Amino acid sequence: MPAYGPEPETNGGRQKGILAATFLILALSTSYLPASVQQRIAWSMRVTILVPFLATQDRLTVAQLNARDVGGLMRQLDSMTALSSTRAVLVEENRDLRELLGLADRAEPSFLPATVLRPGTQGSERFFFVDVGRAHGIYEGASVVTQDGLVGKILDVREEISSGMDWTHPDFSASAMLQDGSMFGLVENRPGDFREVDRLVFDGTAYNEEALPGTVVLTSGFGGVYPQGIPIGVVDEVEDTQGGWRKSYYLRAMVQPGSVRHVLVTRRPAEADVSALWLADSLQAMEPASGEGRRP
Amino acid sequence: MRTDGRVWVLCVGLALAHLLLHVGLAIGRAAPDLLTVALLLGAREIGMGRAAGLGLFFGLLEDALSVLSFGANSVAMTVVGALGAVTRDLFVGDSLLFLVSYFVIGKWTRDLVHWVMVGESLRAPFVEQVVVQGLIGGLYAALVGVLLLGIPGLGKGAQV
Repeated sequence: MPAYGPEPETNGGRQKGILAATFLILALSTSYLPASVQQRIAWSMRVTILVPFLATQDRLTVAQLNARDVGGLMRQLDSMTALSSTRAVLVEENRDLRELLGLADRAEPSFLPATVLRPGTQGSERFFFVDVGRAHGIYEGASVVTQDGLVGKILDVREEISSGMDWTHPDFSASAMLQDGSMFGLVENRPGDFREVDRLVFDGTAYNEEALPGTVVLTSGFGGVYPQGIPIGVVDEVEDTQGGWRKSYYLRAMVQPGSVRHVLVTRRPAEADVSALWLADSLQAMEPASGEGRRP
Repeated sequence: MRTDGRVWVLCVGLALAHLLLHVGLAIGRAAPDLLTVALLLGAREIGMGRAAGLGLFFGLLEDALSVLSFGANSVAMTVVGALGAVTRDLFVGDSLLFLVSYFVIGKWTRDLVHWVMVGESLRAPFVEQVVVQGLIGGLYAALVGVLLLGIPGLGKGAQV
């Protein structure tokens, strides 16, 4: 009696196996493609199959923004109109003087309003799209801010749309300083056990100096990525001390990226100080809203 | 309509619904992972080769929306597609227990492979992404998958 052996494999089964292995190799190879090729594939899908879905989110977000607190917006508009009418002459005079002195290229960066789109799929939680691109003067590395402070930066720019990462991304880092310029360091993301408990850390500060809880931390402008003066967070507590020579502090972030729907994006690499855009009284007003408030 | 055609229609419909909920309406985790459900449903009907191809396509769709971890979803979905098709040769059944296990393990495997492929610097903590989110997402996918199979007409076309 012949021994009971495995069922003979058919050609169809083998072909399916080879096909599956081929697709698996293709899938694995996508991870190792050059970044430019990956981006080309991604963008080709975004501008074809995914366009209707991204456009839907764009329209919904804009509609939500339009519907939100119209009364409040009207009040803001009225005060802005009153303010701008008194400053119109000064602005015009300033522009004329800048033109005369040829200061246009060295001027502070201009900001462009944009709507944030969130992909909402797995692996894309720390990324966002903005509906402005190269055609609007956006560049790679441009800062993304709100009225409260820093959100993140632009990573990839296309003609009409750009993608970026917010501060919850593990690669986020920004040269930073205390509001009075007395202490400098680097702000980084410190992932927690869950994404909801990710925190910002102001690291690399001198051990013998102390940042008081509630002090505002701004971008310092070093490194040329973020312009000087954008609020990042307020000092919360000491995170760690190392060897008696270095301290790091937990920060309460000014901006919770998940709730951001409307942002401003810088339009030219910034060397100027933009802290005047976040006035001192505005910064103080923001602190209670960003957490538990100042500590004594 | 032929059974095979019905499966493809179901997969395309679920994929469109997934993109509408996750990308169009930006619901995020509140919406089920219909792309994985579609793949798991289709994998048992269309064979290993085509299931892997469908997984690769679905994965590329998701990778197109993640900037720095390109390829992680492609690999995860291709693996799940191929393994889902293999289970047809190993398990035959349509009991509730089998269906729930199939969807939970399928979705959990997808999250596990994605977590491995996404790289150390970008991945979320294992406990969060694989243990907690993976299992919750798996149960959610199982609920949706079982409900879909209960719809007359659909269930016959994609009989797990």
